[in-house]
Amino acid sequence: MSEKPDAREPSTDRRSFLKSAGAAAIMSLVPDAVRTAAWAAGSDAPEKKEVKVGFIPLTDCASVVMAAALGIDEKYGIKIVPTKEASWASVRDKLINGDIDAAHVLYGLVYGVQMGVGGPRRDMAVLMTLNNNGQAITLSKKLADKGAVDGASLAALMKKEAREYTFAQTFPTGTHAMWLYYWLAANGVNPMKDIKVITVPPPQMVANMRVGNMDGYCVGEPWNHRAIADGIGITAITTQDIWKDHPEKVLGATAEFVQKYPNTARALTAAVIEAGKWIDASLSNRLKMAETIAAPAYVNTSVDVINQRILGRYQNGLGKTWDDPNHMKFYGDGAVTFPYYSDGMWFLTQHRRWGLMKQDPDYLAVAKQVNQVEIYKQAATAAKASLPKEPMRTSKLVDGVVWDGKDPKKYAGSFAVHA
Amino acid sequence: MHVAVRQGMALEGLHMRVLVVDESRGRARVLRDALAQAGYEVVVSRAAPLALAGVVARVRPDVIVIDTESPSRDTLEHLAVMGRDLPRPIVMFADDAAPETLRNVMRAGVAAYVVDGLDPARVKSIIEVACARFEEYQGLRNELAAAKSKLAERKVVERAKGLLMKARGVDEGEAYEMLRKLAMDRGKPLAEVAQQVVDLGSLLG
Repeated sequence: MSEKPDAREPSTDRRSFLKSAGAAAIMSLVPDAVRTAAWAAGSDAPEKKEVKVGFIPLTDCASVVMAAALGIDEKYGIKIVPTKEASWASVRDKLINGDIDAAHVLYGLVYGVQMGVGGPRRDMAVLMTLNNNGQAITLSKKLADKGAVDGASLAALMKKEAREYTFAQTFPTGTHAMWLYYWLAANGVNPMKDIKVITVPPPQMVANMRVGNMDGYCVGEPWNHRAIADGIGITAITTQDIWKDHPEKVLGATAEFVQKYPNTARALTAAVIEAGKWIDASLSNRLKMAETIAAPAYVNTSVDVINQRILGRYQNGLGKTWDDPNHMKFYGDGAVTFPYYSDGMWFLTQHRRWGLMKQDPDYLAVAKQVNQVEIYKQAATAAKASLPKEPMRTSKLVDGVVWDGKDPKKYAGSFAVHA
Repeated sequence: MHVAVRQGMALEGLHMRVLVVDESRGRARVLRDALAQAGYEVVVSRAAPLALAGVVARVRPDVIVIDTESPSRDTLEHLAVMGRDLPRPIVMFADDAAPETLRNVMRAGVAAYVVDGLDPARVKSIIEVACARFEEYQGLRNELAAAKSKLAERKVVERAKGLLMKARGVDEGEAYEMLRKLAMDRGKPLAEVAQQVVDLGSLLG
């Protein structure tokens, strides 16, 4: 349906006007108040003004929270109500039954629901990517003391001291599961056979590792930095070192929501793009963001724990510190937020690789159905965001394998280590 | 993870084993009693994520009932997806394609994980019992909260009356009338106006 938005869009003229770069330039000359009035007066006015957006307490919920906190939402004629959720399962259920309209959600989860992996199946929509990078794999201090500080040394230790090793991630179809599996497999460890995998909610990761029966986990920040601050774990690898500028959380909704409220979906996307732009614009903005989201209503941790890695200041818990230019990004001149088809397809290929899907789907068709590229383009124009030339991109992952989205079936079947 | 022949057993319908995962001890007890009375075998666990996998492997439940807002739900999702013969999330509602039913069940605060191939009617009865008990429990808590806040309101009105009687030299009836008039004039609840009087009173000493 993303292919023909005109069918449900009465104001074609106005939209195509807005779409052209020239129009964006003209619009930028118009004062905000006037522009808001123009949006509200036209038939592009959001059908639903109040938009409930679910989130999980993680640093990468920031652009959703800041869109509301800075009042960027009002500029686009909507009111974003961020709603804190206790689990990804709850985010999924509330999206499906309409208790929330959209959510800060794991990329892979949206595709899992689209394909009905281990649960309810619904047509889903990815409105935009919320962030790249900024997750990591933590190994317990105990393991580090025995020399396991990266992939190779972990694999070596597991051979030398054979026992059941337990690793946690955050959702069976989610991004952290896929980063963890990819990294282990790249180091010759089969996550389906050689280890025990469990799912633990992000805010509980650190506490669970402290208890001592978890060897490692993959989760979003600030929970890897927190393990270092608490002296119970070390960072073995950041996810940007597994895949530089990898897609992570998305702004997800059901396809039904987007069909019913296309203008609201567009306004929401535009507001969150603009918030992402604001976060990435300066160091001081990022510090302000960290202060806002550290509050109990959001991530509920100290500002220090959040802002180190937001600013790219990394330490691994073993004395090494570095400045990482590939820290968590929320806009990246429009390259972060664009919902690339190749990104969506990648999660399908990994679900297939690890046996979550028994057959190869029509990868590209599914990605085109889920990722709302048309709505995104309109929203990006409204938010004056740059658009990439192609809806696909090419990346080289940690094992040296290149993913360009061109032959997903072959790619999915190409891995030596699989389920 | 070892896998036993659970599905065959469940299909025979001899008995069904329900695992109740709840951080609220009171509610878990209410639910356990109700389900046991209906003839189900019930195990209650307050298990945190790490222990939960072990509990599920040991108990091998046919149905798991859990609070929709419990963070431990993601752990169950994982077991459902990865542990092939373990419970699947809310299969019957997904198949029923009745969003309204699902919505009502969820608003009651119940999420259920059900082994594939169970008799839908029997699962439904378990979910219904769970919903009823969850709602009843919530109702009791709401009543308690309402009673508490009513008591607090009455106290504040009494204090405001006392302040007015002292400051304005009026009797109790007149003090109450003054409060009531103020509330009506401002279109605010009596308790709120009384609270303002008390706050102001403490300021003026």
